[in-house]
Amino acid sequence: MTFWQVMTIEARKRMSYRADFWLGAILGLGAQIGICIFLALAIFRESGSERIGEYTVRGMVLYYVVVQLVAKIVRSTEMEMGVSQDIYEGGLTRYLLYPTSYGLFKYAQQLGALAPSLIQVLLLGAWVPFVFAGEAEVTLASAVMCLAAIAVANVLYFLLGTVIQLVASWADNVWSLMVANRIAAALFGGFMIPLSLFPPWARAILAWTPFPYLFAFPLDALFGRLSPADWARGMGLALGWCGGVAILGKILWRRGMIQYTGVGI
Amino acid sequence: MEGGVRVVIAGLDLGLDDRGRYRIDGESEVKFRRCRAGLSALSCPDVIEADRLSKTFVVHKKEPGLRGSLKALFRRERIEKHAVREASFRVDEGEIVGLVGANGAGKTTLVKMLAGIIHPTGGEARVLGFRPWERENRLRRQIALIMGQKAQLWWDLPAADSFLLLREIYRISDAQYRETLDYLSGILNVKEQLQIQVRRLSLGERMKMELIAALLHSPRVVYLDEPTIGLDLTAQRAIRDFLLQYRERHRPAMILTSHYMEDIERLCRRIIILREGEIVFDGSLEKVVETYADHKVVTVQLAKTAPPVGDAPELRALGEVDVCGDGVIKLRVSRGRVADVAGELLRRYPVADLAIEEADVGTIIEKILREREGPP
Repeated sequence: MTFWQVMTIEARKRMSYRADFWLGAILGLGAQIGICIFLALAIFRESGSERIGEYTVRGMVLYYVVVQLVAKIVRSTEMEMGVSQDIYEGGLTRYLLYPTSYGLFKYAQQLGALAPSLIQVLLLGAWVPFVFAGEAEVTLASAVMCLAAIAVANVLYFLLGTVIQLVASWADNVWSLMVANRIAAALFGGFMIPLSLFPPWARAILAWTPFPYLFAFPLDALFGRLSPADWARGMGLALGWCGGVAILGKILWRRGMIQYTGVGI
Repeated sequence: MEGGVRVVIAGLDLGLDDRGRYRIDGESEVKFRRCRAGLSALSCPDVIEADRLSKTFVVHKKEPGLRGSLKALFRRERIEKHAVREASFRVDEGEIVGLVGANGAGKTTLVKMLAGIIHPTGGEARVLGFRPWERENRLRRQIALIMGQKAQLWWDLPAADSFLLLREIYRISDAQYRETLDYLSGILNVKEQLQIQVRRLSLGERMKMELIAALLHSPRVVYLDEPTIGLDLTAQRAIRDFLLQYRERHRPAMILTSHYMEDIERLCRRIIILREGEIVFDGSLEKVVETYADHKVVTVQLAKTAPPVGDAPELRALGEVDVCGDGVIKLRVSRGRVADVAGELLRRYPVADLAIEEADVGTIIEKILREREGPP
C-alpha cells in the first residue's frame, strides 16, 4: 500500500509539469529517435551495401526506433533519482526515519516517475506498427515476453544505478562511475549497436553479464527471435543478476550507513 | 489533588493524572529521578538513555590551491574530529530537555545518534529500549525528528499529499489520522494552507507543516533541532505555545536544540550544556543560575525629585556598576550581599522602585561556553 501511494504521488508530481512533459516528449524522445533514423540511413548510404549483418535499412531503423522506446522505460529517470545526492546532501535522513525500506521507496518513486515516459512512449510509438508493417512479426506471445523482459530490465537498471550511487558513502563524487555505467549499458546492452553485429565470442561473454538483458533481450523477445526456452533462460539470468546486485547493494548500504553523517558535524 | 490518587513515596508527593501517569512537580521530578533505582515497581521509564555516547568523525584535509589539489589526488591528510565525547544522560517521558551549545559543540550530532541517523563510535544508547542506529521499525514508528534547517516535506506537493503518504508509511488508522490532522492543523492555524504546494508557503507556515508531518503518528520521542530558526517573533511564539500544548496532551520525551534562549527558557525546565562535544552541565535552569551566576542584578529607579547621581566611589563599593544615570542605578551584586546592598541603596537614595533579578540565563550560558574550565 505504501509502495502504491509513493508511486502515485510521484506520478502526480511528474504529470503536473506540463511543459516538462511536452519538451521531454518532443525534444527528448522525438529528437533522439530522429537522430537514430538519420544515423542509420547515413550508415547504409555510405557503406553502399543493402544489408549490415542481418539488418536491412528498414530493419535497422526499426531497431533504433524501438530500442529508444524501450530504453525510455528501462532507464526511467535514472540520473535524477539521486541516491548519491541523498547521501551527499543529507536528504537520506528523512528516509532513515521512516519505518520503511529506502530501496523500495526509491524504486516506487522511479516507477511513479515513469508515468509521463509511458505516455510519451505510447504517443510516439503508436505510428511504428503502421510505418514498419511487415518488417517484423510481433505476436501476442512475443509482446507479453517483451513486456516481462522490460519489467525485469527496469529493476536491473535501477539496481545497477543504485549500487553505483551507494559508493557515494565513501567517494566524494560518483558521477564518473555513473557515466561509465551508462556507457557500458548502452554499448554492451544493445542500445548503441545491435548485439548481433558483435562477434560470436563477444556475444557469448556478454550473455553472462547483466547488460544484454537491459535493451537487447526485450527487443529480441518482441521481434520473436527467442524461443520460449531462450526467453526463460534469459529471464532467469536477468533475475539472477537482480538478486546478486541487490545483495551487493544491501552490503554496501549496511557499511555505507556507518559512514553516513547526515551532512555537517 | 482532586480526582486523583495520592501516592507518597520517600517523602515525595506523587499523583496520578487522568491518563494514569505519575505527575510530579519540577523539584520533585529531579529528586524522584535520583531515587528511581529503588522504585522499580513504579512506572517511571527512561525513554532516552545515553551512556558514554561518543562520535568521532574522520575528515580529510586538503591544502588550498592547485598544488594542494594535485597532492590530494595521491595522499590526503586525515583528521579526527571528536564531535561528541562520552555523553551520558537520561530523559524521561513528558520531559523537554534543552541541548545548548555553540556551533559545532555536538548538539546535532548527539540528536542524530539518538534518532538513529548516524552510528556512534563509542558508548551506548537506548531509546524506548531500542538501539536507535539499528533502526528497528518498532522504534521508528515512535520517534520524530524535526530539523529547522532541513525540510522533510515534499517541496512540489501540497502538504496534505505528504500527510497522506505519511499515513501509509506509519500505518495510521483513518480515524486517528483525521483526528490528529484536525487537531494539529487547528492548533497551528494552517487548515487553509493544507492544499497549497509546500514551496509556496511562508517559512513559518512551512515549519508548522513540518511539525504536523512529524507528529501525525503521535511519536513518544520527539527531537527538535532548531525548530524556530529564521522565524519571525510571532511564528516563534506560536511554535513554542504549540509545543507546550502538545507536551501537555501527549507527554512525549523531547530533546530541543536551539540558539534562541527564549526557546530554551520557555520550553525546558532542564538543560544540557555541551562544550566541544562534552557535557559540562546537566540540570535545571534554576540550577545553572545558582551554580554559575555569582551575582544578582539590583536595579533602582530614583524618585523624580532626586539630584543626579554620579558614578560615585561609594556606589562602586556596593557592586559592579552597570548603569548609572537618567535616574537609574543598576548594580551587579554578589549573592550574599544582595539584602545589605538593597538596604543601603534605600537608605542613601530617594528610591521610587527597586528590583532584584537573577542574571540573564543567556549571558550565564554564554559565559559557561566561553570558559574552558569547569564550574568555579
